[in-house]
Amino acid sequence: MRRLAVCAVTLSTLLPLAACSRRTASLKPQAQRVVVYVSEDQVFSQPVLEAFQKETGIEVRAVYDTEEAKSTGVMNRLMAEKDNPQADVYWANEPIRAEVLRQRGVAEAYDSPAAEGIPATFRDPEGYWTGFSARLRVLIVNDAVEKPPRSVLDLADRTWRGKVVLANPLFGTTTSHMAALFVRLGDAEARGFLDRLKANGVRLTTSNGESADQVAAGQAGVSLVDSDDAINRVRRGDPIRMIVPDQEPGGLGCFVVPNAVVLIHGGPHPDAARRLADYLLSPDTERRLAEADCAQIPLHAGVPVPKDVPSLGSIRVMKVSYAAVARKMVEIQQELKAWAGY
Amino acid sequence: MSPVRRAVLGSAVLLLVVAGLLPVAGMILRSLTAGGHLGFEAYRGLLGSARQWSLAGNSLLLAALTTVAALLLGVPAGVLVGRTDLPGRRLLAALLAMPLLLPPYLNAVAWMAAGSASGPVARVLGEGAARTLSHWLFGLPGCVLVLSTAFMPLIMLLVAAALRGVPPRLEEAGLLAAPWRTVLLRISLPLAAPAILLGAALVFLLALGDVTVPPSFRYPVFAVESLSQFSAFYDLSAATAAAMPLAAITAAVLGLEALVSRWTGAGTAGRGREPGPPPTVPLGRFRLPAAVTAWSVAGLLVGAPLLILVLRAGGPASYAAALGQAGGSLVRGLLLAAVGGTLLAAEGFLLAVLGVERPRGAGAAADATALFLFAVPGAVMGVGLIVLWNHPWANLIYATPLILLLGYLARSTAVTLRICRATLELVPPGLVEAGRVAGIGWGRRLVWILAPAAWRGLAAAWLAGAVFCLRDVGMTLLVHPPGWDTLPVRIMTLAANGAPELIAALCVLLVAATVIPVGLLAGLVGRMEAGS
Amino acid sequence: MSLLALEDVRVTFGHRVALDGVSLAVEVGERLVLLGPSGCGKTTVLRLLAGLAVPDRGRVLIGGRLAAAEGRLLVEPEQRGLGMVFQDLALWPHLSVAGNLELGLRARGTPRTDRRRRVRAMLELVELGELAGARPGELSGGQQQRVALARALVLEPEALLLDEPLSSLDLELARRLRTEILRLQERLGFTLVHVTHDPEEADQMATRTLRMDRGRLAG
Ligand SMILES: Nc1ncnc2c1ncn2[C@@H]1O[C@H](COP(=O)(O)OP(=O)(O)O)[C@@H](O)[C@H]1O
Ligand SMILES: [Mg+2]
Repeated sequence: MRRLAVCAVTLSTLLPLAACSRRTASLKPQAQRVVVYVSEDQVFSQPVLEAFQKETGIEVRAVYDTEEAKSTGVMNRLMAEKDNPQADVYWANEPIRAEVLRQRGVAEAYDSPAAEGIPATFRDPEGYWTGFSARLRVLIVNDAVEKPPRSVLDLADRTWRGKVVLANPLFGTTTSHMAALFVRLGDAEARGFLDRLKANGVRLTTSNGESADQVAAGQAGVSLVDSDDAINRVRRGDPIRMIVPDQEPGGLGCFVVPNAVVLIHGGPHPDAARRLADYLLSPDTERRLAEADCAQIPLHAGVPVPKDVPSLGSIRVMKVSYAAVARKMVEIQQELKAWAGY
Repeated sequence: MSPVRRAVLGSAVLLLVVAGLLPVAGMILRSLTAGGHLGFEAYRGLLGSARQWSLAGNSLLLAALTTVAALLLGVPAGVLVGRTDLPGRRLLAALLAMPLLLPPYLNAVAWMAAGSASGPVARVLGEGAARTLSHWLFGLPGCVLVLSTAFMPLIMLLVAAALRGVPPRLEEAGLLAAPWRTVLLRISLPLAAPAILLGAALVFLLALGDVTVPPSFRYPVFAVESLSQFSAFYDLSAATAAAMPLAAITAAVLGLEALVSRWTGAGTAGRGREPGPPPTVPLGRFRLPAAVTAWSVAGLLVGAPLLILVLRAGGPASYAAALGQAGGSLVRGLLLAAVGGTLLAAEGFLLAVLGVERPRGAGAAADATALFLFAVPGAVMGVGLIVLWNHPWANLIYATPLILLLGYLARSTAVTLRICRATLELVPPGLVEAGRVAGIGWGRRLVWILAPAAWRGLAAAWLAGAVFCLRDVGMTLLVHPPGWDTLPVRIMTLAANGAPELIAALCVLLVAATVIPVGLLAGLVGRMEAGS
Repeated sequence: MSLLALEDVRVTFGHRVALDGVSLAVEVGERLVLLGPSGCGKTTVLRLLAGLAVPDRGRVLIGGRLAAAEGRLLVEPEQRGLGMVFQDLALWPHLSVAGNLELGLRARGTPRTDRRRRVRAMLELVELGELAGARPGELSGGQQQRVALARALVLEPEALLLDEPLSSLDLELARRLRTEILRLQERLGFTLVHVTHDPEEADQMATRTLRMDRGRLAG
C-alpha cells in the first residue's frame, strides 16, 4: 500500500517535470511564438489574441494585468525587465503608458502598414506606439438628474455640490484626463478647476467602474468615467445616461483614450511581434472590439459599429499631444497626490 | 561530520538562502542605493506624509482585529476538534481548515456576491437587507471577516496538534484533583501556549501583508497602497522602500514571538513517547450545544460563501465557459503544485532533520528564516525575485517556471518544515542510532530509516506544500513566465470586467481542484493507517 | 591490548554529571556485566562505547585505537564494528524482520544473494525462520527481543553491547533468552558487554561483573 503511495507521488512529480522540461526546452527564441503583455482587460483582449494565434499559427504567450488598484502591473514588469526583455509586444489600454515606455527607452519604433488610416493624433510621430480602438472620457448621469451637465468643467459648479464622484486621479485614465486638462487649459486654470471641484465636495472612488456603479445606484448624481463603463450599464438597463462632454463649437472637445501597441526594444521574437502589431491595428480587430462588451470606438474610418457605440466622425475630439500629456502627468504627480489627500 | 551530510544539509540551507533571503536582501540594497549612491532617498516620501501614517494605522488595526477574531475562533475550535468527543469533529476540522487551502480573496468574492443587488440576500430578505450587508462588509468588517476565516485554521491546527502532544501523564495527574475543564484550562492550554503564540504571530503578519482582500472591500491599507505606488509611478525603488516597513515588522514580530516563547519555557515540555492517542475529553451535557454552535459557525463562515459561489455560478454553461477560459491555467497550477509540493517536502524534511540534529544553532536559524519568508508579503517577494533573477544569464530560471518554484520554496518552506519537524520529533531516536551502530551511513539512514519512519509527515508535508503552491497569488502574479499563469492568477486577471457568473464558476473550480485531491489523499492515508 | 576501553571518562548533561572518572577495559571473548541501579550511568557507558555519546573528559579506545576524546568524536559509530541491542529495542517498524536484518548488510555493500543467505541463517539461529516476512509490530515481546539480537549479530560484530534487553520480559522468558544468548556467544565467539540492574541476571551471564553507582564504578 505504501509502495503504491510512493509510486503515486513520484509519478505526480516526474510527469509534470517532464512536461515542464518539454515546454521550457522549446522556450528558445524562434519565429513561431510571440510574447505579449496586456493591460487591456483579459476578457476583451484574450479572444483577439486567440484569433490571431488561430489565423497565423503563431503561438501567443500572454501576461495579463489585474484591476488597476490590485497589482503592481505588467508595466512595471516591462520596466524591470528592460535590460533583459521577455516581452515582444505591449498592448496598452491607454497611450500614456506607451509614451512612458518610449521615454524610458523600452519601446521600439515600428511603422505598421496597418496603421494607415488611423489619424495622426493617435500615433507617435516616430512610430514608437500606435493607437487603435478607443474609449471616450464621458459624463455618466443618473436619470433622476433633470438638467445634466454639458461640460466636464461644469462639475465644479455649485449646482453639483456633493453630487459628484470621481475615480482616484492617481490611477488609470483619470490621471491622463487630468493631465490632459492641464495641457489644454494651462496649469493655472486646471489647478483652479481641481480646487473648485474639491471645494464642491467631490468624493473619490477606487475605479471608474465603482464611480459608474454609484451613479447607477443613485448614491451620486454624476461622474466622469470611460465610455465602456457607461455603455455597459446602459445595456444592462441601469437608470443612467451617457453624455459626450464639451461638444459645442469651440469647446474643449472630448478626451479620447485609444489602446496602443508598443513593440519592445530587444524583444526575443521581433518578426512575430510585427505581425501581431499589424493584426491588432487592423480594422478587423477594431470591429471586434466595438462589438464586444467593451464597446470601443474604431479609429479607422468606415468600420461598422453597433448602434449604441458613437463613431469617431461624429465627435469633437480634444486636441492634445499624448506626449505632452505624459510629460505633464509626471510633472503634476506630487500635486495630484496632495490633492487626493496622500 | 560526514561529507554527505554536510553537502546535503548545506545545499538545503543554501537553497533557502538563495530562493528567499537573497531576493529580500537585494531589495533592501536596491532601495538604499536609489539614485546611484547609498542613502535613504527612496524612504524620504515614505514616512513623511500623514497619509502613510494613517495607512499604517489601518493596517495594524486590521491585523490586530483579525488576530483577535482568529484566536477567539481558533483556540476553541482547536480544543474541540483536537481533543473532545464532539460529533463529527474530523469533518468539522476539515471544513474549517478549507479556507486556509484557498486564496483568501475567494471568500471576499463570495461575500461581495452575497451583498450584491442580485444576490441571495437580496432575493430572500429583500434589497434593504442586501444593502445593509454590503454597506457593513465594505471596509474594515468585511476584511476582518474574510481574513480571520482564512487564517483561523492556522491557530486551530496548531492548537489541536499541541494539545495532542501534551504528555497524558501530566493531564492524568491533574485529573486526580480537578475536572477536565480545569485541567484543559490550567494544564493543557498553558502547555500549548507556544503554539497559540506562534499561530497568533503568523495570523497577524499574514493579515498585515495581504494585498488581495482589502482592495476588494475598498479598505485602504499600507501593503496595497505601497504596491500601488509602484504601479502608479513606475518607481521600483520607492515601491521597495514602501515594502520595507512590512519586512521590518515581520522580523520584529517573529523575533518577539521567539523571545516570549523561550521566556515561557519553549516547546511542549518533555514530549511523551507514550504510544496511542491522548485521552478524549468528554463534553458531557455540553456536547449538543457545543456541536450546534461549532457547526453553525462553520456553516456560516465556510459553507455559506461556498454555497453563494455555487448559486452565483449557475448552470453547467458557466462551468463550461470557465473551463474553456481557464482550463489551461488550472492544469498548469496543478502541475506546478505537484512539483512544488515535492520540492517543498524535500526541503522541509532536510531542514527539519537539521533542526533535530542541531536544535540551537543552524537548525534554529533555518527555522527562523523560513518563518520570516513565510510572513513576508508575496508581492514583496515577487519584486525581489524579479530584481534578482531578471538577467540574461539567468534566463533559464527567470524565463521558465523555475522562477515560480524558487518563489514557492521561499514562501512556504516554513509550512513543510514545521510539519516534518513535528513528525520527526515523534520518531524514537533509537531507530536512527540503531542504524548508526549497524554501520549505516548518514545519507542512507535518512532514506532507509528516517524518511520511512516519518512517511506520514512527509505525505502531509507534500500535500500542504502543493496546496500552498496552488493558492499563491501575490508572488505568482508578478513573476509567472508568459503562458504560465495559474488558476488563482487567472481569476484575478479575469476579474477586471469579467462576468460575475464566470468568476464565481472559476472560484468553484478552484475550490474543487484543491479540496478533491486533498480529500482523496487524506482518505487514502487514513485507509492505509487503518490497514497497517 | 583490550578490545574496548574507557580511560577516566566524564560525561555531563548540562549540570548533571552522568559519569565521572570511569575507567574500564573489556578483553576479547569475555562477558562483562555492568550492574547497578537505574540512573547510575550504565546506558551512558554503552553509548560511549558505541560512539553515540562523547566524553567531556577522558578517552575512549576501540581495539587500541583512539575513538573519542575530550568532547571530540574521532571514530563514527558506523565505523566501530560493534553490535548493540537497545533498551527499547529500536526495531525499524516499517521493515519486515528480514528487512531489519538486511539493512546493515546492504549498507556494507554485501551482495544480495549473500545477504539473503546470511539473514536466513541468522534467523534460523534465533528460531525466527518462519517470521522473516512479519513486521516488528506483529511480534510478541520475546520475538522482538530475538529480532533485535539477530539484527546486531548478523553483522558479525567484534563485541555486542546489550542494554537491559530483558528487563521488560517475564521471568521465565527472560531466563530462556539468557540461555539463548549464552549459546549464541559460545557459537559465534563475540565479546559481550551486558548492562542490568538484576543481580540474578549478572550471575548467570558474567565472566566478570563491575558494579556501578551514581556515575562511578564501585569497589
Ligand atoms: N540525554 C540525556 N539528557 C539528560 N540527562 C541524561 C541523558 N541521558 C542520561 N541522562 C542522565 O544521566 C544519568 C545516567 O543515565 P543512564 O546512563 O541512562 O542510566 P542507566 O542506564 O543506568 O539507567 C541519569 O541521571 C540520567 O538522567
Ligand atoms: Mg539505562
